[in-house]
Amino acid sequence: MRNRWKASILGVAALLLVLPAIFGQAANPSKATGAPDLTGVWLIDHFQPALFPKGTTPPFTPWGEAQFKKADTQVNDPNLACLPHGIPRLMFVPLPMEIFQVPDRVLMYQEAGNQLRQIHMNRDHKKDLDPTYNGDSVGKWEGGTLVVDTIGFNDVTWLDHAGLPHTESLHVVERIHRVDHTTLVDDFTIEDPKAYTKPWAASQTYHLKPGWEIAEYVCDNNKYVYHEK
Amino acid sequence: MNTKRFMLLFALAAGFILASSPAFAHHSTAEYDMTTLTAVKGTVTQFEWSNPHAYIHVEAKDDKGNVVEWTAEMASIGMLSRVNWKRDTVKPGDEITIYGYRAKNGKTLMRLDKIAFANGQELSARVG
Repeated sequence: MRNRWKASILGVAALLLVLPAIFGQAANPSKATGAPDLTGVWLIDHFQPALFPKGTTPPFTPWGEAQFKKADTQVNDPNLACLPHGIPRLMFVPLPMEIFQVPDRVLMYQEAGNQLRQIHMNRDHKKDLDPTYNGDSVGKWEGGTLVVDTIGFNDVTWLDHAGLPHTESLHVVERIHRVDHTTLVDDFTIEDPKAYTKPWAASQTYHLKPGWEIAEYVCDNNKYVYHEK
Repeated sequence: MNTKRFMLLFALAAGFILASSPAFAHHSTAEYDMTTLTAVKGTVTQFEWSNPHAYIHVEAKDDKGNVVEWTAEMASIGMLSRVNWKRDTVKPGDEITIYGYRAKNGKTLMRLDKIAFANGQELSARVG
């Protein structure tokens, strides 16, 4: 009888030890693999409409400079037509994003256009990529940092809200890391030899927004910004 | 300087600093003169609760008594919802004052900063 009690207590104790592992794994598989946890709803800490503020000059090629001179935020910003922001601009939009970590992917659900950005964790870039707005993102963990490499872009988007141009040769590397529980930083290295003479850097800080939910965002009313009254 | 006056100046200065770096969705504020706050008192004719921007349409009178239609552009409805705006916060017929930054091209269009209801109560439209 006493042994049966002992066995029951040991059984319950074992179950209690195992349960968090089972449910923890179901809730967040990345934790089970020991990967850092970037999950949550995040919002930029401040809006940077221009990645090169007044007084600084982007390292344009002649082609890049000519394109930038044609950019008019009230006339030909692709976003006025409700087109996707593309990478990296999507990461500078003043709307929240929710990060999910699932097996083989880190997902960023952006309120902007309700786009789901996929970062593939266990594969290389595919060969002969079709040019797309958000390109092909592959990621790997370097300690606590998610390093994301993206290529395969079309040339439709701007890199920022001021009109920095790019071509299909755009290559973006991001180093995303959690500075503390409520702060996330994305450090960008941007290169496009047809538009810029050398790679350049940008950075965006995000704050955790506990309790926030991503809202529906259908870009369905642009008559005042896209069409002249 | 008494404490009350200091607090008022402090609030004005803080307000100016906050207003000088607003976080707006969709498109930047390049088309608005962000240095001057304009106030327009009038009657709401329409409240468009839509993305990427919500809009309040107000009928007001200019100095000469002519009726002028004003449009006040706001952030997205998701962001506005997070700072206490609802689809019926203003309704056609409401007498309100809109405070915002007027379009540089001279149109009667502004980027809304806040509204004041007829009873004087104010509601900020800042979402940053």
